[in-house]
Amino acid sequence: MSDSDIIQGLEKDLGGKALELANPDRRRVFLKVAPADLLAVVTLLRDRYDCAYLATISGVDKGETLEVVYHFASRAANINVRTEVAKASPHVGTICPVIPGAILYERELQDMFGLVIDGLPDPRPLVTPDDWPAGSFPLRKDWKYERPEERIPGGKS
Amino acid sequence: MKFQIPIGPQHPALKEPISLRMTVEGEVIRDADIRLGYNHRGLEKLAEEKTWIQNIYLTERICGICSHSHATCFVQGVEKLMEVVPPKRGLYIRYLVAELERVHSHLLWLGVAGHEAGFDSFFMYTWRDREVVMDLLEMVSGNRVHYAINTLGGVRRDLDAGQKAKILEGVAVLRKRSEYYFRIGASEPSFVARIAGVGRLSKGQAESLCAVGPTARASGITRDVRKDDPCAVYDEMDFEVGTADSGDVLGRVVVRVKELLESYKIIEQIIRKLPEGPIAVRAPRKAKPGEAVSRYEAPRGENMHYIKSNGSEKPERLKVRAPTLANYPATIEMLRNGFIADIPLIFAAIDPCICCAERVVTLVDVRSGEEMAVRLSDLRRRAAGRGPNALPKRNAAWPL
Repeated sequence: MSDSDIIQGLEKDLGGKALELANPDRRRVFLKVAPADLLAVVTLLRDRYDCAYLATISGVDKGETLEVVYHFASRAANINVRTEVAKASPHVGTICPVIPGAILYERELQDMFGLVIDGLPDPRPLVTPDDWPAGSFPLRKDWKYERPEERIPGGKS
Repeated sequence: MKFQIPIGPQHPALKEPISLRMTVEGEVIRDADIRLGYNHRGLEKLAEEKTWIQNIYLTERICGICSHSHATCFVQGVEKLMEVVPPKRGLYIRYLVAELERVHSHLLWLGVAGHEAGFDSFFMYTWRDREVVMDLLEMVSGNRVHYAINTLGGVRRDLDAGQKAKILEGVAVLRKRSEYYFRIGASEPSFVARIAGVGRLSKGQAESLCAVGPTARASGITRDVRKDDPCAVYDEMDFEVGTADSGDVLGRVVVRVKELLESYKIIEQIIRKLPEGPIAVRAPRKAKPGEAVSRYEAPRGENMHYIKSNGSEKPERLKVRAPTLANYPATIEMLRNGFIADIPLIFAAIDPCICCAERVVTLVDVRSGEEMAVRLSDLRRRAAGRGPNALPKRNAAWPL
């Protein structure tokens, strides 16, 4: 399946659901969908475009919104599905029912970007420690690391 | 009754810190849980503060074994963003180092697998042979671990005729040794019996859990970025993707031995076809706004970087997905219904690089806590119900 076949096929199958569809480079397809359509599009990619393999999910902080990019790969191409949600209500549905291997990536997104993945089978924190302050999301642009003041036990304060 | 056993983050059986919690029923693992973050370095955040050039050296330090993989994956993507095309000779040298690194990583892994299976002479053999390739890497790049040979637009060091001859000599020695490993199972039935049937992962599971690299290929999936998405030189090379169908630790050993032999083939072709010309071109300081997805087949599986640029000299976002992270959901399946004694072997079989993925696993023994009288027949039935992962394997055969 060549890149143009994939683009044409996606145009036909998705119709109005594809908000953006681009092929910037060989074997790279970028597709943008609304969060509500995500699960349907992922199911379509898995069943018709041989994209059962999810390479990873990236989050991007775009100021007012958060972008989530799902990187799928088949033997023919690398299909990247992106969706955008407002930071004020960062809810995205889980894709675990379709792609069970997505669980760790989705849990990581929750920890790092403060996205809320609705319907996640196991929503515990994955990378942040147990005593991590709530509402603190390291990969958001407004998060800055401040080194805590060093205190030597028994030393002069 | 089930118990939870925590293993790690600090544990004598682990080479790197990771926290596993195993739910066990007697000797049998019923469930496993991984907790990451013990050693989280916040590297993706740090990358946003560094320039493109500085980030090559930062990504190289993601991993101490497949250091070249991350740096190569990163420069591939940034070169796309900068619209820089490295000269052929530079690319050939870059992927020569990549294949040498794969050889050293697989030899290292074979040794670890031998060690975990109680076959320590195999461990000493492979690690002795690994010195040959380490010396070659030191000769080519000046370093044994962090080769630092990549730069934006090519590589930093050239090869001369003497070095080419030495590489071919070294590869000839290694090939002879690897052919011995290829046959080792036939003369070492105890090694084969120890690893056959352990940590089973079916093809369907490997597919749905998005396993990568030798772990996926040992379950019969022919997924290899070098073939599927050939970057730069791989479409000019003649090699095959090594696979196995057994989906157990034995299959993972077989796949890696096959890949060693394929890597020697690629190295010899690179040396023979090495074109003349410059090794690098000048790259700009800034990248145009845009995004790139870069894929690379590291020794442990597909490595993926998502790079977003905002037009400045620093990346807007760098997402790194190391292969070990992709293999964790599959590892939990492999551990399920296996024995506690198999944990090191199964865990080692995905060739985990905790510093890449930086996460934890816990063993939990789950019992209800109720006491009850159990008849012998019940015990036998329970023993039989240990699951397919723990079937006896007296007649295992070496497939090569």
